[in-house]
Amino acid sequence: MGSRVEILNEGGFRSDGRRQFELRDMTIDLSQRGIADGSALITHGLTQVLVSVFGPREAKMRSQTIHDRANINVEVSVAAFSTGERRKRSRGDKRILEIASTIKSTFEPVVQTNLYPRSQIDVFVQVLQQDGGVLQACINGTTLALINSGIPMLDFVCAVTGGVHSTSPMLDLTLLEENDIPNVTVAMMPKTGKIALVTMETRLHVDRFKEIFRLVSDAGKVIHGEMKSAVLSRSTSLVTAMGSGPRTRGGDLEERDVDDQMNNY
Amino acid sequence: MASTSISKAEKSYIQAGFLSSPPLRADGRALHDFRSVALETGVAPLANGSARLSIGANAHDGGGGTEVLAATKLEVENVEEDGCDGGRIVCTVTCSPAAYPQLSSNALDDLQYDMTVILHQTLSHPSLHPNNLGILPKKKSWLLNLDIVVLADAGNIYDAIFMAARAALWDTKVPKTRSVEYKVRKGNSGGVVGGKTGSSGDMDVDEETTSGFDTRQIQQATDFELTDYWDEGEVLDGRERWPISITLNLPPPTHFLDATLPEESAVPLKALLVYSFPPSESPNVQAMRILGSGELTVVLLKDLVKEGEKYARELFIALNSKLKEEDIRRNQKARERFARR
Repeated sequence: MGSRVEILNEGGFRSDGRRQFELRDMTIDLSQRGIADGSALITHGLTQVLVSVFGPREAKMRSQTIHDRANINVEVSVAAFSTGERRKRSRGDKRILEIASTIKSTFEPVVQTNLYPRSQIDVFVQVLQQDGGVLQACINGTTLALINSGIPMLDFVCAVTGGVHSTSPMLDLTLLEENDIPNVTVAMMPKTGKIALVTMETRLHVDRFKEIFRLVSDAGKVIHGEMKSAVLSRSTSLVTAMGSGPRTRGGDLEERDVDDQMNNY
Repeated sequence: MASTSISKAEKSYIQAGFLSSPPLRADGRALHDFRSVALETGVAPLANGSARLSIGANAHDGGGGTEVLAATKLEVENVEEDGCDGGRIVCTVTCSPAAYPQLSSNALDDLQYDMTVILHQTLSHPSLHPNNLGILPKKKSWLLNLDIVVLADAGNIYDAIFMAARAALWDTKVPKTRSVEYKVRKGNSGGVVGGKTGSSGDMDVDEETTSGFDTRQIQQATDFELTDYWDEGEVLDGRERWPISITLNLPPPTHFLDATLPEESAVPLKALLVYSFPPSESPNVQAMRILGSGELTVVLLKDLVKEGEKYARELFIALNSKLKEEDIRRNQKARERFARR
């Protein structure tokens, strides 16, 4: 009895020291990886996910092209060392296929696929570390990678998990909490407040659902703030890098004069 | 190896560059220069040992280049069922589809399998076997799973894989165990757990005391326990022996190291040589593979093995000094920071 971890103690603290509505530490890394058109490395606490996006490009499988839209292909792979117990999951594992198809159906209405008929957008998700909120991290990572690759979307898609411990709602659950209490994952689009995804695999009383649903939707806006500032800082650094290179052609008349003067020396 | 598609003109341009004097490469390197290699250990806290290695990544944001993640995890297994007395090592390589976006999933599986076989056959060889992977002789042993994930490939993937494997194995800590023997208390039911050094039961006047000088009794250890739950353990034995590989790309008659993707497409023939440098012994060639299409004479191969050893030794020394630096950064400096807090 004494060794059981408390989900929420009397002081209002959770098992990892957070408050009820506190989200985990989030880090976003948008630097380029390999030859991907866009990539994002996102961590929520101890959950770390790397998403790479390729496209829009010519489809590898002609049978899957759609005549008036781009086809979004999502592949998820989970590293064997991502959990405490090593589990080698094959690419065809049902759980993984389910996560992949959930991500695909979340982004299909958001990405402006009608601009790229008969082409393919590949999203490769690599889960590096798992501590609860894997779907949440995958969706947030996919949003950032799609933005990073320049694929037009209607809005950000921000996902958060929420759960209810007896009557107290909680946000952004760790693995310990996910296994213990009923939980729901909600992905919302912050500009309009529209919901792109609601998924729940546990049982939750209908009276509690309304409250937690509203809370999670609001939490999505907080995630949106973080994502927006990460994208902004990445864009700023890229623009600065573009601006600081030497100008070979054109430019202002004044600049040309300066260059001529330099050449005189 | 998946390669970019390049035109015949570009291929001949690259090949001509190698044969000219002085030899020219697209990024200005010499024939035997490596791109900058970045290494970090301890990247997967849930694993017993881990490392992330990249070759040719940009200095300021760490992007681009070949990137490989390696992690080791230890599992206990019964010797009777799957295990081996003294423990065993199993290596697996997974390629992220992001590293090879032009390959279909079947081709990716084939590539993964090729890399897995090369790595596993080399590292699970008895000459490299560490001696602290056993727990209870003939009963329980450690299974060491080495998982490599290829996140990006910008050429020279095998060298990256072997270096990352060596770094993760160097970083691996094996939890210390103590074997445990169950003794039934005389006349009562239930067991008393005692350590290997002797049982610590209550002194019962009626009980037969076993003399410490009695050496006839054979210890029948049936189970084990962790000495300290929070201690990561002792370092995996044989860390000096783990090998590294050198891929020699062969545009006949010369050879060069650390090819980029276009260079690999232009020069398909490679010799992969894996060297181990055990301390106070002469170096060993742990594995050798000829990859790609082309022919090689025995005389040329002998020379390549000799040349390769020189390059491998330099790489080995550089890798070792970085690993020691990483050890210091993670242990000593962390302790100093904690003491100063």
